[in-house]
Amino acid sequence: MKRLILSILFCLSTAFVFAQGKVTFSPAAFTAEDEVTITLDVTGTPLAGLDDIYIWAFSNDGVGGGKDALTNGQWGSSSDKAKMQKTGPNLFTFKFTGTTLFGQSPAELINFGFLAKTKDGSKQTPDYKPFKFDPLVFVPSQFRVFPAKMDYTDVTTVYFQQDLATDQNLQRMYNIKVNLTFYDAAGNAVGTKTGLVTTKESAVLFSYAFIPERVITLPAGTQLSKFTYQFTGSIKDASGADVSTSGPVTEVVYTVFN
Amino acid sequence: MKTLKYILPVICILCFWSCKPEKFAPITTDTNVVKQMQGTWALTSVIQVDEDASTKGFPYKQVNITNVYPYKDLVLTFLGDAQGNPSTFSITNGNSPKITDLTSGNWTVDNAQAPVTITLKNGTAQSQLSFGTYVGLKSGKLNIKKVKMVNGKAVLSYQYEFTKK
Repeated sequence: MKRLILSILFCLSTAFVFAQGKVTFSPAAFTAEDEVTITLDVTGTPLAGLDDIYIWAFSNDGVGGGKDALTNGQWGSSSDKAKMQKTGPNLFTFKFTGTTLFGQSPAELINFGFLAKTKDGSKQTPDYKPFKFDPLVFVPSQFRVFPAKMDYTDVTTVYFQQDLATDQNLQRMYNIKVNLTFYDAAGNAVGTKTGLVTTKESAVLFSYAFIPERVITLPAGTQLSKFTYQFTGSIKDASGADVSTSGPVTEVVYTVFN
Repeated sequence: MKTLKYILPVICILCFWSCKPEKFAPITTDTNVVKQMQGTWALTSVIQVDEDASTKGFPYKQVNITNVYPYKDLVLTFLGDAQGNPSTFSITNGNSPKITDLTSGNWTVDNAQAPVTITLKNGTAQSQLSFGTYVGLKSGKLNIKKVKMVNGKAVLSYQYEFTKK
């Protein structure tokens, strides 16, 4: 009985996920001044099977200072500029630049959201939100990657800037290593490597540079969609003995170059 | 006075006649870039440039990755035909990461006098590299750049410096 309930719950949750549609961005991370392509899969939404759908976008959801996109038009009659391009069955794309779409400066734009609808607004998807714009001002951080955008064939360097650590254990951590996990396009982990020895670039800066295919064995034809990294190390306990500690797991989505 | 009346126009005509464009010698000797590219080159330096960070003026713009993997194993050969035009190329990666998926084929340039783009072809497969600078060519340095774009915007690039073998 318990199993039956669990199965029903699983099926319902799966159906719920499909009913939401699926959103992807190219590039995966972007500022308000970057040109971005939204790809929306409306499978399972009220818009499934339609040819003409329109985007209804809004900025700064829940943070104040929000505006409707300049292309929205009226709810009962979307502007033609908001029409999404059909690229396949239930697949639609829309290209935009944040500052142009919302008529706001990069400093004003924090996030945005959108939904897709029919021209007359009789059918719509749920809201997809909030999607953050990357800051145009460099924000120092304890963890960072170089370059900011890369694909899985590029050399990527992960950094731990210890003097920016806020956690006491991370501030005291030594013998610093890194764990890497790589994921395929379906989001399945295809390889993990732990305890990779970092390079001490200075007293407070540790790094590890890699190309995925040199770290794990990539199954033939596998395309990676993202990786995660986690810095680990040791601290001394009250008795002076070594105790393992680790930082948070940080996810990096690979960019699709075109 | 009468004589002067005839002499002056003659002098004027002669002066006018003597005006003609002067030919200046070239400031430098002609550089045949395509011919200078031909030969065998060993990869000596690889710089990874975050073009996006450079555009935004962020502090971390480039990293020298030459020693991350054995890039110095890579050897590139550009050959020319009897007239000095680009013909075939070959790339021996050794243990170096690939700088392009192709290892042999034909190469062409977009402009023989001032090439910007180098196209490598093998059958239908094609890869494009661009010139970094011609400055080092005479002293045996070839600077090639590979740019990766998103929606037409340069996001990431690699600067490869080769030394003639």
